[in-house]
Amino acid sequence: MTTPVVGDQRTLGFSRPELPPPLRNPRASLKLRNALVGWTFILPNFLGFAVLTLVPVFTLFYLSLTSWNIFGTAEWVGLDNFTRLLGDKSFHIALGNTFYYAALHIPITIVVSLSLALLLNQKLRGAAFFRTVAFFPYITSIVAVAVVWNMLFSPEFGPINQFLGLFVDGDLPGWTVSKDWAMPAVIIVGTWKDMGYYMLLFLAGLQTVPGELHEAARIDGANAWQRFWNVTLPCLRPTMFFVTVMVTIQSFKVFDLILVMTDGGPGQATLVLSQYIYQKGFEQFEFGYASAVAVVLFLICILVTVVQFLYNKRKEA
Amino acid sequence: MTARTSALRRSGRVLLYVVMIAAAAGIMLPFAWMVISSLKLNNQVFTAPVQWIPDPVQWRNYLDIWAKADMVTWVRNTLVLSVAVTFLQVLTGSFAAYGFAKMRFPGRDALFLLYVGTIAVPWQSYMIPQFQMLSGWGLNNTLWAIMLLQAFGAFGVFLMKQYYESIPDSLSEAARIDGLSEYGIWWRIIMPLSVPALASLTIITFVQTWNDYLGPLIYLRDRELWTIQLGLQSFIGEYNAEHALIMTGSVLSVLPIALIFFLGQRYFVEGIATTGVKG
Amino acid sequence: MNRKIMSAVGVAAAASLALTGCGGETAPEAAEGPVNITLAGWDFASTPEFQTLADAYTEANPDVTIELKEYPAGEDYDTALTADLAAGTAPDVFIVKNLKNYVTFQEGGTLLDISDVAAELDPATGGLEPMAVDGKTYAVPYRQDTWLLYYNKALFEKAGVDLPDGSWTWDDYADAAETLTKDIGEKQVTGTYLHSWQSTVQGFALAQTEGASLDGGDFSYLAPFYERELAMQDNGSQPSYATVTTNELTYQAQFGTQKAAMLPMGSWYIGTLVAEQASGAADTFEWGIAPIPQLDESTTGTENTPVSFGDPTTMGINAGIDESKIDAAKDFLKFAAGPEGAAALAEIGITPALIDDAVADAIFGLEGVPQDDLSRFSYTTHETLPENPVGQNTAAIQTILGETHSAIMSESTPVDEAITEAEERVANEVG
Repeated sequence: MTTPVVGDQRTLGFSRPELPPPLRNPRASLKLRNALVGWTFILPNFLGFAVLTLVPVFTLFYLSLTSWNIFGTAEWVGLDNFTRLLGDKSFHIALGNTFYYAALHIPITIVVSLSLALLLNQKLRGAAFFRTVAFFPYITSIVAVAVVWNMLFSPEFGPINQFLGLFVDGDLPGWTVSKDWAMPAVIIVGTWKDMGYYMLLFLAGLQTVPGELHEAARIDGANAWQRFWNVTLPCLRPTMFFVTVMVTIQSFKVFDLILVMTDGGPGQATLVLSQYIYQKGFEQFEFGYASAVAVVLFLICILVTVVQFLYNKRKEA
Repeated sequence: MTARTSALRRSGRVLLYVVMIAAAAGIMLPFAWMVISSLKLNNQVFTAPVQWIPDPVQWRNYLDIWAKADMVTWVRNTLVLSVAVTFLQVLTGSFAAYGFAKMRFPGRDALFLLYVGTIAVPWQSYMIPQFQMLSGWGLNNTLWAIMLLQAFGAFGVFLMKQYYESIPDSLSEAARIDGLSEYGIWWRIIMPLSVPALASLTIITFVQTWNDYLGPLIYLRDRELWTIQLGLQSFIGEYNAEHALIMTGSVLSVLPIALIFFLGQRYFVEGIATTGVKG
Repeated sequence: MNRKIMSAVGVAAAASLALTGCGGETAPEAAEGPVNITLAGWDFASTPEFQTLADAYTEANPDVTIELKEYPAGEDYDTALTADLAAGTAPDVFIVKNLKNYVTFQEGGTLLDISDVAAELDPATGGLEPMAVDGKTYAVPYRQDTWLLYYNKALFEKAGVDLPDGSWTWDDYADAAETLTKDIGEKQVTGTYLHSWQSTVQGFALAQTEGASLDGGDFSYLAPFYERELAMQDNGSQPSYATVTTNELTYQAQFGTQKAAMLPMGSWYIGTLVAEQASGAADTFEWGIAPIPQLDESTTGTENTPVSFGDPTTMGINAGIDESKIDAAKDFLKFAAGPEGAAALAEIGITPALIDDAVADAIFGLEGVPQDDLSRFSYTTHETLPENPVGQNTAAIQTILGETHSAIMSESTPVDEAITEAEERVANEVG
């Protein structure tokens, strides 16, 4: 078979009239041409991506099947690391905490950032200022964020508990130094920090909602909620999909924030998977085992993403 | 009756502003604390209870950071990295996204899932194999390593692809009938319509590179190569930390980004209608 | 600089000249040409010890140049060095900073066997002996800090409490802290300050309790130490763990600005406090050093040797070093861990692994260091046991005990329950 020339599909169709139609019909060559053109778009990014990200990621998958202390050679152990995970209580705690964080952080962040975007997408006086303010938590150094929130949460001297003390008699939450309240505290800060970031993504998406549709709905007597539900949300679906996937993955991967705020404590109350990976890898030099945890984290994320992907596809169709 | 509704509406507006200003003040609190701390003596930064007014006010921290530390070099390196990474990420990302969004070919969805899948792998779990690879090419301890590392991420592709999908196909169909090639459609139709997404991607990539710590930590050793974050971390010594100077540096590091964001405002909310179709 | 330091420099230089004069079997080889050795250290701006050692050595050995490679301080040093070791891009000589990583480095084949260097060092070198793994040594200590009790004389006088005299047990210390807090009578000033690190409780418990071991699987020895600290934070003798962590208090500020009358801390703080008082970052007040309180009276008093803890900081040679540089690198290590290196370190206020009279003279010759006998006794006389005994599972056990520490001190989990949990986890997860 000769390599088909990328060009006008009509030329290709004419030059090979003797070929059997099912194999060489215009649609087949259109597909091929499309694939080639599509690949030329993807290739510049893909080359860098494949070499710099895919290769190390595949190495990671291989390493999850080995015992490796980072310096010597990796020794093949098959699925040992994964069987060990089944009985590893710390891993179970980290897994549970990760789900705890994700289960609350994902919906709250989406609702808050979407509301912010809707609010600040309007023609408000000073909208530019408020948008910048909302974005500030994302650009402020994470160390400063942790320091200030920890102080605000301070059980004895913190303004939050001083404020709550005005209304509540008895025990106040210990926040970041209490087993039960550390995770809610971290979730609050996580949402606070991420809302501006996702607001920005929603804002971009909102620009694709045609104003005429809103006008038409308004004339038809739809109220604000109905307009949001029936006009804005459907138009926002690609962005919504993107944000949902990103929030999901970032929540399951949460690391920096917990590291600087509670370092997983008190005890193991806020130990999450990413931190467990770091602990096993860089503190205890069990890189094979750490890789296995990373693979599990990856599988969880990809499972959730595929579900979201298929759901999105069905909605599109 | 109309007078009453407008009065109601006006007081609603006022209330909204009061709430928004209060919320803004709350949101800015950590930043305010950074500024306050940057004006303190080092041993006053962390106290219980918190000292909200610096006494005496240490303006000299803002001079010291330039004199004591190599802030100029750090800013230059950080700027070089952020600009290069942002440029590459936006260009290749938006280009590849077109292939994923507007072209149909077998394996497209699988490949796309592969892209998204890598976002789900925590970087710290594969940074060592990656570091070994790049060191093998002699790129450790160079700015190139950080550029390569950050420039081809899946994030930009994903963001742009989703945005392209919300642009009606009818626009590119029309252009196709007019004889425009796919590259022409991308450059002349799609790109001008994607300003809000491009602006978001630009600022997000820029901020991420600007604030990145772990990447430079692993790759950059020489003082001449340090970034702002790496440099600020060097104020934390083994037994002592210059907390006030760290906060000074953090304030200085945040300001340019805030300024870019503030000035770039209109691009985030630039609608399709106002942009129009060029070409 | 004062005169004593200058003379110490002279002595050190003369001593090292004498040493090279004697030569060794390596001397002819080293003379062949200039050798360049790279040395990994951290944060040179505030950590002059690497430059000091390099300068002192090259002065005595002009044929060798020591090129410093800068790494970040703190935990990040290990992360960055680990990456470089894994990729084969690490310097010729590096500091094994955290003792708990030593065995992993050694097993990973990153460290050269330097038993011959260790054999030539003074056996009195602090922390040297425990570095042997199966009879071989792969890194040698060049500095060894020990934990001491710092106290503020002015605050003691104000409260009318007797100064520490070296006879204190932990119970005496707790009583004093309580009285101090009450009698100083200022709202934000406490009798003592306990930093948030796990070592501030566990290090002492491990070192001072008879038969205690890190990898024995039994952590009941921690219980009395934790009970005492919890009682102290409950009665306000020290800021609570919750306040220390959420307000990110620093021990330098708490003691240096007179918010605490006592502070258990490592000997490195001597240099810091002197410098901060000189620069005005810390208040000017009279202070002193006492031996760290003991578990019982068998080790108290100046006629006994108080038991404390502290990890040595050690130096090793990269196993991937160029063959031709090995001799020079070993010679440098011998120098750094020997008396010449010790003298050079003492001049800049750093506690070397080998403490002799010259070292003590140099340290106590620094302006601002307390001159009383007890301070000098505390600094020179102690049995210092490692916080992280060299062992296969040390790193993993310390992670678990770190979580135990935050669970107990935040009062999230009762002492006994937390200790039982730690014991179960060690049995279940380690080894």
